[in-house]
Amino acid sequence: MALKALDIFKLLPKTNCKKCGCPTCLAFAMKLAQKQANLDQCPDVTAEAKAQLEGSAAPPIRLVTIGTGNSKLEIGNETVMFRHEESFYHPPGIGVVIPDNLDDNELNARIEAVEKLQFVRVGAHIRSDIVAVENVSGQADPFAKTAAAVQKLDLPTVLMSKEPANIDKVLESCKDKRPLIYGASADNWEKYAAIAKEKQCPLAVSEADLDKLAALTEKVKAAGVEDIILDLTSAGISETLQALTAARQLALKKNVRSLGYPSLAISSSAQTAGEQVAECCTYIAKYAGIVLTGLHHPEYILPLLTLRQNLYTDPRKPIQVEPKLNQVGTVTTTSPLLITTNFSLTYYTVEGEVEASRIPSFIGAIDTDGTSVLTAFASDKLTAEKIAAFLKSDAVKDKVTHKKVIIPGYVAVMSGALEEESGWKVLVGPREASGLPKYLKTVWKSE
Amino acid sequence: MKTYSVTFLPDEKTVQAAAGKSVLEAAIVAGIPLNSVCAGEGVCGKCRVIVKAGKVEAEPNGFLTRREIQRGMALACRTFIQGNVVVEIPPESRISGIPQLASEDAIRFGRISERVGDGAAFPRNPLSGKEYLELPEPSLTDNIADQERIYRELQGRRNLPAMQMGLSILQKLPELLRESRWKVTALLGYRGGTTEVIEIEPGDTTARHLGIALDVGTTTVVAHLVDLQSSETLATKAKYNSQISLGDDVISRIMYSRTNERLKQLRDLVVNDINDLITGLVMDAKVKFHDVAYIVCAGNTTMVHLLLGLNPANIRREPYVPCAVMPPVIRAAEIGIKINPRGLLLALPCVSSYVGGDVVADVLVTGMTDSTDLSLLIDLGTNGELVIGNSDWLVCCSASAGPSFEGGGITCGMRATDGAIEHISLLPGGETAECSVVGGGKPLGICGSGLIDAIAELLRNGCIDRRGRFVSKGCSAKMIRETESGEKEFVICPGKGTVLGKDIVLTEADIDNLIHSKGSIYMAAECLLAHVDLTFNDIKHIYIAGGFGNYLNIERAVEIGLLPDVDRNRFHFVGNGSVQGAKMALLSQDALHYIQVRIAGAMTDFELSSDHKYMNEYSSCLFLPHTNIEKFPSLKKKNRNLSEGARNSP
Repeated sequence: MALKALDIFKLLPKTNCKKCGCPTCLAFAMKLAQKQANLDQCPDVTAEAKAQLEGSAAPPIRLVTIGTGNSKLEIGNETVMFRHEESFYHPPGIGVVIPDNLDDNELNARIEAVEKLQFVRVGAHIRSDIVAVENVSGQADPFAKTAAAVQKLDLPTVLMSKEPANIDKVLESCKDKRPLIYGASADNWEKYAAIAKEKQCPLAVSEADLDKLAALTEKVKAAGVEDIILDLTSAGISETLQALTAARQLALKKNVRSLGYPSLAISSSAQTAGEQVAECCTYIAKYAGIVLTGLHHPEYILPLLTLRQNLYTDPRKPIQVEPKLNQVGTVTTTSPLLITTNFSLTYYTVEGEVEASRIPSFIGAIDTDGTSVLTAFASDKLTAEKIAAFLKSDAVKDKVTHKKVIIPGYVAVMSGALEEESGWKVLVGPREASGLPKYLKTVWKSE
Repeated sequence: MKTYSVTFLPDEKTVQAAAGKSVLEAAIVAGIPLNSVCAGEGVCGKCRVIVKAGKVEAEPNGFLTRREIQRGMALACRTFIQGNVVVEIPPESRISGIPQLASEDAIRFGRISERVGDGAAFPRNPLSGKEYLELPEPSLTDNIADQERIYRELQGRRNLPAMQMGLSILQKLPELLRESRWKVTALLGYRGGTTEVIEIEPGDTTARHLGIALDVGTTTVVAHLVDLQSSETLATKAKYNSQISLGDDVISRIMYSRTNERLKQLRDLVVNDINDLITGLVMDAKVKFHDVAYIVCAGNTTMVHLLLGLNPANIRREPYVPCAVMPPVIRAAEIGIKINPRGLLLALPCVSSYVGGDVVADVLVTGMTDSTDLSLLIDLGTNGELVIGNSDWLVCCSASAGPSFEGGGITCGMRATDGAIEHISLLPGGETAECSVVGGGKPLGICGSGLIDAIAELLRNGCIDRRGRFVSKGCSAKMIRETESGEKEFVICPGKGTVLGKDIVLTEADIDNLIHSKGSIYMAAECLLAHVDLTFNDIKHIYIAGGFGNYLNIERAVEIGLLPDVDRNRFHFVGNGSVQGAKMALLSQDALHYIQVRIAGAMTDFELSSDHKYMNEYSSCLFLPHTNIEKFPSLKKKNRNLSEGARNSP
C-alpha cells in the first residue's frame, strides 16, 4: 500500500508556502497520496525526504501493458477492493483461446467469429479485446501459423505454450507487438524469463499457491522482467476466486510487493457453456485482469462484456434518470405537475412522496447533469429558462392543460422569473419532498 | 400606486405601504422583527400574523390549519395589502428576547486573561496601545517636525518599524501639542504591517482604553467590552441578528443580497445591531464611545462579507469562492459602526467559503494546536463546522445541518430564548417527568437542546423506533394523536400549560428533520476522519462549540447519534469560542499572528459535497443512533431495544 497522506505530510517542509499550488502542505500530501500530484511541484522538499517518498510512490498493483498501438490493453493499477470505495480503473481483457490444431477453414471461421465479438451498448462500443493462441499441438509450426493468422484481428495476443522454444520462435515475427507470454512455472521460469527480458514482453507466471507464486515473481523480477501477470487459475472456481481475492488483498492492504501485479484466470472447458459464462463472470467481478475462455459465440461473450461495462463505470459520478415528463398514478390533463431535477436520488425521493400522497401527478425531471435541486440551482443548471422551455415542450403541452406548475420550495426565488418566462402560474412547493403529500392534499386541492 | 396604512398590534405602529406589498415587507419598514426563516419565499411558515381588520389577498399555503385560517391567521410574506389593515403579531412570530449567552467561562478554559499575559500562551500586547508622552520641547538644536518628534519618542519605547499618521491628526497636531504643553497620549492601532497613530489626546488618558470583541453570528450577535489596560471584560451583551427577517441561514441571505441595495440593507441591519450592543455596553460600563479604540470581530465567511459589504454571491455557487478571507483592517466608522471615529475594526481571517473566522477563533480558544494529541472540534449551528488536528496539522470541513438545532423547521421549534423548553425528561409512556424552560416561565416552544433531549427520551422509553417513527404501544394514548392531514404528533406539553394556550407538539417530520441534521454532522466527522485515515478512537479531545454551548446534554446527544460514542470525559464545551477568540486577538498581537499563520493559514479545507463517501453513507446515519449499532457500543449494552429495533427495521 502506498504511504498515507499523514505519513507523506511528515516528510514535507510544513511551511504552507502554497508554491505547489495547494493551500497547505497537508493538502499537497493528500494529492500525492492519491497520485494526483508530483513531488517535483514542491520546491523545498529535502533530498532525503524525496528519496523516501519516491521509494514508496510505486502503485500497489503494477500497470502492465499488453499489445501496442490503439488496441493495446492496460491492466492493473487498481487501488480498492470494492468499487464503491472509489472506482475500478482498468477493465479486464476478455478474450477467446484459439487452439493451434484447427484446420485452415476452422481457423478462419474462428477468427471471423472473434472479429464479430463487438457490440454497441448504451452508446458505448464494447468488444472482446484480447485473443490467446494455445500451443495444443506442442509443435512450433502450427503454433507459429495460428499466431500469424490471428495477427489480422489486431488485438493484443497471449501466446500460450509449455515449450519455451516454440514461443521464442513465434516471437521472432511478432515481438514488437508486445504479446503476453504464457507461462512460466517453478521448473522452467528461467527460460521464460530470459525470453521475456530479451523480447521486452510481459510474462505470466503460475504456481501452486500464493506463497510460492510470490517467491517466483521475486525471482522473475530479479531476472529482469518487470511486467508480470499472475496466473491464478486454480483447481476449481472457488479456489480461483479465493486466490484472486487474496492476491488483491495482500497487494493492497498488506503491501505485498511480490503480488502487486494484475492477474489472469482461464475458465475450465470441462463444463457447460452456461457454467463457463458464470465462471468468467465471477472472475470479472473479482479482480481478474485478463479472463480467457474457449467460448467464442456472441451469446456467451456479450454477458461478459456487459458485466464488465457495468462494473467499470465510475460510481462517483452521479446517477441520473432520464430527463423527461414522468407520470405517477393514473394521471389526467388536470393532474398536478411538479418539477425536480434528474439526479436519481432527488428524483426518486420526490416520486416516493408523490406516490405516498395517492394523488396522480406528473413529475418533470429537468436535466441538471444529475445534481440535486440546490446544487443545480447554485451552478445555474436549474434555471427559470430551462423549466420554461420544458413547460413549452410538446411532451408537456398535450398532457397538462391547467398551466400550473409546482416548483421545489428551495428555488422559490425563481418563481417570478418563471411566471414571466413561461406564462404558467407558479406554485411554490415545500422545501423537502417529505412535505409533498400534505402540500398536494391541502394547497393543490384548494387551487 | 395607491398606498394604504398598515397598523401592527400590539406595538400600535402604523406605516404606509403600497397596494400589493406583503405584510412582511411592511413589518420590515415598521422595524418590527418578524420571524422569517426563508426570507419571505413562503416556504417556512414561520411568519404567522393575525389579520384583525382590513382587506388583504392571501395566497394558499400548507402551513395553516382550517381553524387557524378562520381565526384570521395568515403568513405575512404571502399576504398582500389591498386596503388599510390592522395586523396582530402573535408572540411566536416575533424575534424577541435576549439570546441565552453561552457562559463566559467555558468549563475547561478558565478566563481568557489566563491564556494571554505573563507566562501564558500569548504575551499581552493589545492591537491598540496607548502611550503617555512627555515630549521634550523643540529648540534650535532639536527642531525636527512635530510628527517626527512623536515618532522618535514612540520608537524609543516600542519597536515600531513602520508608522503612519492620518492627515486629520496632522492638521490639529501643532496646536494640540503646544496647548497641552507637550504632554499628550498617543493612541496606536495595529494595521497589518504598520502601526497607525490613530489619535493624539491632551494629557494622560492611558487609563481610558477600551476595545470590543464581537461575535457576528448568523443568528446572534454577541459583544464584549474589554478594558485594554487590565484585560478585564467590563460588560457583555447579546441580541439576535436582525438579518433574520431576511433569511434564517447564510444561503437565504446570500440569495437575498443579489442587488447592491439589498446588500446595503443587510449590512445596515447588522451594523445597527452592533451599534445597539455597543451603546448598551458603553452605558452599562459608564464609559465614553471615544475611548473605544478597536474592534475585533469573528464571524462566518458570509457574515463577514455582509458586514463589510463584500459581494457574497460566489460563496453559494460552485466552486464556492469567497471575495476575501483576510480582509484588511478598516476604520469602524467606514461601515457605520460608532466608536471612536478613527477607531479600527479587524475581522478575523476565514479559511474558505464555509469555514469562517468563528471557527478559527474556536480553534485558538481550545488550544488544540498546542499539543500533538489529536482533537476534534465541532461547531454546532445551522452550518456545522468540524476541525480535526493537532500542533502539526489541521483539516476542516463544513456540513449543512439545517436549522433544526436552532429550532428552525420544527413545528413548535424556537431559538433558545425565554419560553424555550431547554431540557426535558420523560416517563415510560411519554409523560413529562421534568422540564426546564429558559427564563423559568411557561413554555412557548422547544429549542435545539430540548429537542435532542425529547427525542433521546422518546427513544429510550420506546415511544419511537430507531427510524424516528412513533410506536403506538410504547406511548400512552393521550400523548399521541393524529392531525387533520393524517400525521401523527406527540404532545410534549398540553395547551393549558403553555404561553399560547396551544399544545406544544412533536411530529414525525420534526424528528426526521433533526435526524437529518444530526446525521450530517456525524457523517461529516466520519468523512473528515477518513480523509486522514483516522477513527474516533484516535481522538483525545472533542470540543463542542456554537450556540448550544453548555446546554447540550452530551449523553442524550450520543444517544441520538449526533456525537460519537466515546469516553464522555473526552468531551469539552468551548462556550462562545468565537467571541473569546476575538478577545484573545484583541489583547495579543501574537495571538492574532498565530491565528493568521498557524490556524487560518494552515487549515486544509475539504468540500464534502464532492466526497462520494459522504453521499453514499449519509443515509446510514439517518437512524437513531445509527444503522450500525456497533458504532455505539455503550448504547448497545445499555439498551437492548436498540438492537431489537434494528431487526424490525428495513
